[in-house]
Amino acid sequence: MTCSLGDSLEGIVDAVRHKRIKLEHIPFNIARLPYTRPYYLINRNEGDKLDNRSAEYFYAILFSAVSRALRDAGLNHAEIKDMHLFFGSTSMDVPVFEGKHRKTSATVSSMFLQSSSGYGKIAGAIVEKFGIGGNCYSFTTACTSSANALLYAAAMISEGHIERAMVVGYDLFNNLGFYGFEALKSIAASEYRPFDRTRDGLILGEACGAVVLEGMRRKASDFMHLGGANLCDTYSITSNDEEGSAAAETMNRALKQAGIGPEDICAVKAHATGTENNDKTECAAMRATFGRDIPPVTCVKPFIGHTVGACGVNELILFTESVKAGFVPSTPGFREVDENLKLTPLMENMEAGEGIFMLNYFGFGGNCTTLILSNKDNKE
Amino acid sequence: MYIHSASAFTGEANADIHFLKEEIRRYTQENFRRVNRFILLSLLGALQCVHQQPLEAATAVYLTTEDGNLGETADVLDEIYESKSLPRPFGFINTMSNTAAFHLARNLGIRGRNITVSSQHLSFERGLELLKADFAGGAERSALIGGVDESSLSRMNRKEPSGRGWRMVDGSGWFYVKLEKEGACGAFTEIMSFRDGPSCMRWIRERERSPVEVVSFGALIGDDEATALRETLRPAAEFDYLRDYGYSGSATACGVSLFVGLFQAKTLLHINRDQRGNYAVIELERY
Repeated sequence: MTCSLGDSLEGIVDAVRHKRIKLEHIPFNIARLPYTRPYYLINRNEGDKLDNRSAEYFYAILFSAVSRALRDAGLNHAEIKDMHLFFGSTSMDVPVFEGKHRKTSATVSSMFLQSSSGYGKIAGAIVEKFGIGGNCYSFTTACTSSANALLYAAAMISEGHIERAMVVGYDLFNNLGFYGFEALKSIAASEYRPFDRTRDGLILGEACGAVVLEGMRRKASDFMHLGGANLCDTYSITSNDEEGSAAAETMNRALKQAGIGPEDICAVKAHATGTENNDKTECAAMRATFGRDIPPVTCVKPFIGHTVGACGVNELILFTESVKAGFVPSTPGFREVDENLKLTPLMENMEAGEGIFMLNYFGFGGNCTTLILSNKDNKE
Repeated sequence: MYIHSASAFTGEANADIHFLKEEIRRYTQENFRRVNRFILLSLLGALQCVHQQPLEAATAVYLTTEDGNLGETADVLDEIYESKSLPRPFGFINTMSNTAAFHLARNLGIRGRNITVSSQHLSFERGLELLKADFAGGAERSALIGGVDESSLSRMNRKEPSGRGWRMVDGSGWFYVKLEKEGACGAFTEIMSFRDGPSCMRWIRERERSPVEVVSFGALIGDDEATALRETLRPAAEFDYLRDYGYSGSATACGVSLFVGLFQAKTLLHINRDQRGNYAVIELERY
């Protein structure tokens, strides 16, 4: 995984444990707006500036994350060849076209229209680079993209359609997303504060994460995917029904598919974008699912930002690696309970051992996805 | 997976968007605002498919596409880079191609999974594989699955694969499929995937079913390869949908759904491949 906290899992987990956050402020130079907005940027070295980025940079980040995931999983050549690839992203290769634009007089749109190779291009580059022989599935369901990639990879393994999958979630900074969310007036002014009374929006981030899924555990600490669900809330294209009915139904379907009840969940990783509607809806959905006894809730976006389509994989890695290190992360930035929500997420790290966890993701287009993960021995 | 209805819309590249809206009015009273060509194409193909078809309320949507929302993404990039401004909010939202599947689910009042997926040259086949897994796992029992693509400048420029003389079109091909056979007009009987041509050819040679009645080939199956496959399969007929109806990134979805409307009591074997040499075969029985 590579994100604003670095590219070492140990370093990322250590930063999460000690609430170390790296937030930068980015101007809207093209539109010459008289203000900046915060952003969680990947910063690999001193020379790593937004203006220097290119296609090579885009693929270097991607291939580095994939390479490390393959190494960590301990796969041999035959196992890599046999693997299938599931990819999820919101921006796909738009950052590549924006990067090329800096070196040519052609417009971004004309380059995009004349040389785009489709949504499958990035997954195609991964399988070519690493000799992966299986099928490619590229999901583009807004902010649930890589969560759905995880959902389907796990389902196809459990149904016996495939033996092994790599799931990649990748969204790199792009002006289309940065300017787009600003146009929606969704970006917070300075600090990420999900569920807080004074929350004022989301803060975007960039990340690339890769995980390997198989039917059997290789290490005792590996997490199992017990079940999951996806559902479309047709209430509105940008926001969910405030009662949270579709989000709650998604959570309940996921619990049912995992063969467990709400009382079995030890902690919830909320989607928690920090926007007025998301947090309201998500709270209502958790209340409908868990009743008065909502399990401890963590929001990990204040650590790495809202990595949009990549958040499925990257928040899963951040969450599971933290649990492996013995804690469920706190929610930096939360200070004041919103009386309308009446929810206090974890304000300090919570000790964690074995358990079953719920991970929630929501996106534009009413897309709701819930994953249920376990690190318990008896769920083999 | 039983097919309860199927149809395709193929239209001239860059046709007036008002024409698409007029066509959609034949199937719904809803006046779609803040939508783009990709969304309209998705609606038109799918609504045409389920017109006068009773739909289960619990129906999922699987939208497959090679390029997704090309036109509006380009427009939004122009707003930022050429007009040097923030984009229109709904223009930005609609750059996310899953908004098309959202509009479809909302218009039809259906509730279920809502997935937009792509895979170079085999997007429709990969979507069918996901749907098959969802049916097998009990996640869904009823679904709309389709392929939608605007005509693509990049594919024309690279002469890939339209260099073989096919005209470039907008395409939207859809199927309404259920687990239940009752009332079905056909079925997907095989959705097979192969790592290379020889494995695909071996499966074709060894398949124990009755002789193939109709065969069709995807856009990357070359002339020599098609000839070899014809000699092996000896089909009674060939459906050259690319020649007859044109090419879009979703030509497979369009071609296979057109088969349902054009051929009765026949079996189709559709053979396709991607640029890596992975093959996919769809076998479809039309009752």
